[in-house]
Amino acid sequence: MWRLKTLRHKASGSAINLEEFKHKRREFEKTLRQARRDRQLVSKRLLQDEEEEEEDSMETGSIPLSPEQVREMIRGVLSGGEEKATRLASLRKALRNPESQLAFIKCENSMHMLIGQLSSHNAQCQLEAARCLHALSQSTHPSVGQACLPAGPYLLTYLSGQSTKLTELSLYTLGNLCPDSAVVREKLLAQGIVPALANCIHNQRYNLAVVEAVGFTLSQLLQAKDATEKITPAVMASGIVPHVISGLTPDPEFGYGPAIECTWCLHYLVSSNLDNSMLIAQGALSQCSAVLITLGGAVAQGNLEGGLELLIWPLLRCLGNLLVSGGDVMPEDTRLLAALCVFSQAYLHPHPALCRESLWALNNLTAGSSGFCSGLLLLNMAPILIQFLSFSKGMNLMALRVLGNIAHHGTEYSVGLTQAGLLTALCATLKMAEPEVVTLSLDVLYMLVSSSPQVVEEFTRLNGVPLLEAIQYNSEGEQRVRATYILHHHFPSFSEGESLSSYQDQ
Amino acid sequence: MMQPELIELLGSATPKILAEKIPVIENRESEWLGLQQKESGNENAASPFSFRPQRLRLAAEDEFFEDGDIHRHMYLQDVVTAIADDEHAPTISEFRCHIAGCRQLFDTLEGYEHHYNSLHRNVCSNCKRSFPSNRLLEVHILEWHDSLFQVMAEKQCMYECLVEGCGLKFKTSKERKDHLIRTHSYPADFRFDKAKKSGRMRERKTQQKKDANMEVSETATVHQESESMDFSLTPDPESVKTVETEPVQTANLKPKYSYKVPSSICFGQGSVRGFRGRRKK
Repeated sequence: MWRLKTLRHKASGSAINLEEFKHKRREFEKTLRQARRDRQLVSKRLLQDEEEEEEDSMETGSIPLSPEQVREMIRGVLSGGEEKATRLASLRKALRNPESQLAFIKCENSMHMLIGQLSSHNAQCQLEAARCLHALSQSTHPSVGQACLPAGPYLLTYLSGQSTKLTELSLYTLGNLCPDSAVVREKLLAQGIVPALANCIHNQRYNLAVVEAVGFTLSQLLQAKDATEKITPAVMASGIVPHVISGLTPDPEFGYGPAIECTWCLHYLVSSNLDNSMLIAQGALSQCSAVLITLGGAVAQGNLEGGLELLIWPLLRCLGNLLVSGGDVMPEDTRLLAALCVFSQAYLHPHPALCRESLWALNNLTAGSSGFCSGLLLLNMAPILIQFLSFSKGMNLMALRVLGNIAHHGTEYSVGLTQAGLLTALCATLKMAEPEVVTLSLDVLYMLVSSSPQVVEEFTRLNGVPLLEAIQYNSEGEQRVRATYILHHHFPSFSEGESLSSYQDQ
Repeated sequence: MMQPELIELLGSATPKILAEKIPVIENRESEWLGLQQKESGNENAASPFSFRPQRLRLAAEDEFFEDGDIHRHMYLQDVVTAIADDEHAPTISEFRCHIAGCRQLFDTLEGYEHHYNSLHRNVCSNCKRSFPSNRLLEVHILEWHDSLFQVMAEKQCMYECLVEGCGLKFKTSKERKDHLIRTHSYPADFRFDKAKKSGRMRERKTQQKKDANMEVSETATVHQESESMDFSLTPDPESVKTVETEPVQTANLKPKYSYKVPSSICFGQGSVRGFRGRRKK
């Protein structure tokens, strides 16, 4: 189930120290960022029932089991009789501790015992054994994942089993095991995980909790470094894709979890395929557009419900990349423009990177299409784009690209942009720190002033010409050359005369 | 402040707005633009602008996607919270003085403007041109607005190297330019002594001495070869062929032909503070 939780504090269940909490979160984020740079960003999900959660919050940190204690517990289960399930439950609690996990797998026959219980006739034992495996799957130690592999075929069987609880548990366990190593993935693939997932989501398509779990497991598979060669082709051929695509539409009553997982799956698929015409034929682009428009409506109403961005983010990426890799197919509905503008504005402060990705999607929409460019102007969205020129880290660059796409269409468009105030904004961007911003601003400025004498006049009125003259002394040759060209072609009375430039930039 | 039109647009009552139905304005080449191009003639050749509308494809591991991936994984690990995160605020762009040698950074546009106006706006009262340093302004005034200069330039090397500390003087501005490019690594794309296209009176002497003409010429002479505009970054081919006349050294200089510009030159940094008005010679 998807819900927002606060970071668990080992200390106590009482009031959280806000500063300490923020600090911990910052540190945690740093490690995630480094992991991503190392291409080792891996996450595991912990599925818990409510009762387990209660136990957890009372836990103050368990002591790891010794090898002897492990043997003791195993013996206890095997000889348990009526108590088997209860003893398995105790084992499961103990297996929360990472060191106990290691001790367990090192113990002879430990996995054999678990598998035995997993495949027993006692439903309760099956469940508890599955929970033990789930606990083990949380481990980040490579040997633990490998040790769990023999249980794979059994877990896969439960994907088509009767008990949805067991199905869910198995799915999350498998999903946790996937990112551990290429060896583990290879084995799971050989054991038939992809067809099993396809069948599961097909049979259980009305059970959203299961859909979410399948989505999660699939996303773990697709995120792997070797996914493009080894996994994507199998997934594309398996018949699971239509279900993933229909999973994109969220059910607000249930929660956004299933849609989130399915959309991340689609993002990994889209970005690993060079040619996405098949995905588009299956409705990926139209589905993404439709959902984005619906969400756009919600956000426009001020509904910035926590977590909506978790769904918007991968949708934007699917949209952006589908537009580049699916031939020249374009979305039909230009309300998409409105949605993207809404997202970029609404998320500017809480998630600026999301704003930037919206602008990227807008770039891909407008680069190919005069309809979308006209749309942006007619719907009066140019001023919104112009406001993003104040922000760095790629935001102003992307906004400039979108504006450039519009200006490129000719006179009327350039005049429209000028009326929206672009010239004034450019007079500021020409002085910004990032050289790329200055150069791109000159490109856009050139298109504007080339379009009509109106714009030339306006630029002169804004005192922009001395600005260009000054640029002739910049250290970047690219900037000097462009400024000179514009002056020469459009401001001839200013372009004569000595321009003493400085030394070459190294 | 969400525009009400957007809200309405995205309301469930609004039907699809088909892209193909939106009026598109044909890109007619305007008459005005056509005229412009005719005037500039062949100088229109190489447009330096590289922007083209382009769809950008981003790989899943692209840096562009970092923040979103982190957010996703924090969610998976149950760390996403409703507690406000001020560490991710959008960064407001800084401003920078890009004048060569300067590179100072500013938090605000006002800061930049103040800097620029104090240090780089050295304005020639005659022709209203600004120069990034007082030295260049002085050289400009001397060479362009001083008639005595022109007279003396016929007899001796008067065009001084712009690099402070070098001190070499040349017979023509072209020779000086070649020296700057060759010896001091000045970029070949800077324009030097560009001839006027129309109207205004300017004195100019060509390299070949016609006569020992003491008279300051009042007519505009337009030189296409050596003083033509150079937008490309390749060095002016003519500079390779011409034979340089011997430059005259001023007394205090050992000719240091370094291939690096001495640190004493820069526009702005270390130059005279404050605005010095026009100089009377």
